[in-house]
Amino acid sequence: MKKIFLFDLDSTITKEEILPSISKSINKEDEMRKLTEMTMMGEISFEESFKSRVDMLKDIPVSEVAEKISNISLNQELVKFLNKHKDICYIVTGNLDVWIDKLMKKIGMENNYFCSKASVSNNKITKISKILQKDEVVAKFKDYIVAIGDGSNDYKLLEKANLGVAFGGVRNIAPSLLEVCDYAIYDEKRLAEFLERLIEE
Amino acid sequence: MNNKTVIISCAGIGSRLGRNMPKALVPVDGKPMIIRTLELLDNVNDVRVVVGYQAEKVIEVVNSYRRDVTFVFNHDYLNNGTGASVSLAMQYAKEFILTIDGDIIIHPSDMEEILKMNTEFVGVCEIGTDNPVLTKVKDNKVIAFSREKGEFEWTGVTLLKTKRVNKTEGHVYFMIEPLLPLDYKLIRLKEIDTPNDYEMALKWVKNNYR
Repeated sequence: MKKIFLFDLDSTITKEEILPSISKSINKEDEMRKLTEMTMMGEISFEESFKSRVDMLKDIPVSEVAEKISNISLNQELVKFLNKHKDICYIVTGNLDVWIDKLMKKIGMENNYFCSKASVSNNKITKISKILQKDEVVAKFKDYIVAIGDGSNDYKLLEKANLGVAFGGVRNIAPSLLEVCDYAIYDEKRLAEFLERLIEE
Repeated sequence: MNNKTVIISCAGIGSRLGRNMPKALVPVDGKPMIIRTLELLDNVNDVRVVVGYQAEKVIEVVNSYRRDVTFVFNHDYLNNGTGASVSLAMQYAKEFILTIDGDIIIHPSDMEEILKMNTEFVGVCEIGTDNPVLTKVKDNKVIAFSREKGEFEWTGVTLLKTKRVNKTEGHVYFMIEPLLPLDYKLIRLKEIDTPNDYEMALKWVKNNYR
């Protein structure tokens, strides 16, 4: 059966947390990091936290955020995997389309991602029009789903996938994720090798 | 050496030893058993550790030694056996699987030999524990497993061709039975099930595996 790979973006593909690193430029890093941490550990809901985090960054021009995000450091072994298997890989992220489109293009995933959506006017975010529920994405496919993620907002994604891989190469895997994952891998190269094995069989 | 996936089963509770931790984490002469095993596997790139009971603790200890182990989750560890752990871990494995229980200490030279082998075998040892599973041997091959009689004790260590192995929910030797007869390999090791086993293993390690 054909396998489809769904990757979380933040600290799975990227080597650092995206929104906290953006918030540095407006000196809101501490506040942002705290919120992000609470979200990843499942202490507040993703929707609630995401709205307040977007709110914190909404005065920065959208193009500036997109530019910064496109320059964030990446787990190159995983990016290589994405590029090699473009037809079966998708990014699944709660982040906003208008912020990540440049990064998606850079890693060759411009036609292969699911994300939250926002309206923009005069280069500023006016409204979040959709917050992505990651598990909805699984239902879009009839194939065998392999999901890779690290945070508690990946819980349902990994739970609903046929095979869930928790990745702890960037940050500690959320404890809740350890309850539903089939595998946990902490080394980027090992993860890429393991995913290759899944394709071979 | 890298035609093998090494599977270390550490999912169970190990209640007979009466410690409040997975047996693989019990220190023997100052070092957790799992670390003693990992030290012998430095040259193996595909090492898989099956976790269940106190998974996070096992992961933390293993990661303190090496970061590139693949952890396989046996979430149903309360209801199934080591065979289920191996069945989960052998998916997408290399040509051979080498299974090792997390609660044993293997003689380092024997492990070195094992890692060089490229034919299937059943790992056996001299009969030593209280409630052993025994192996019947005929013409230098293991022909059966038995609770009643046999020449050697089954160790939980076996090298098998991944493609030949069927899954089980029970014991690892259930997976081997359909493949018999198979060569056996006599291994020097200590299995730790009870406080008494622990004392024996400690003495053995301290006395330079003699």
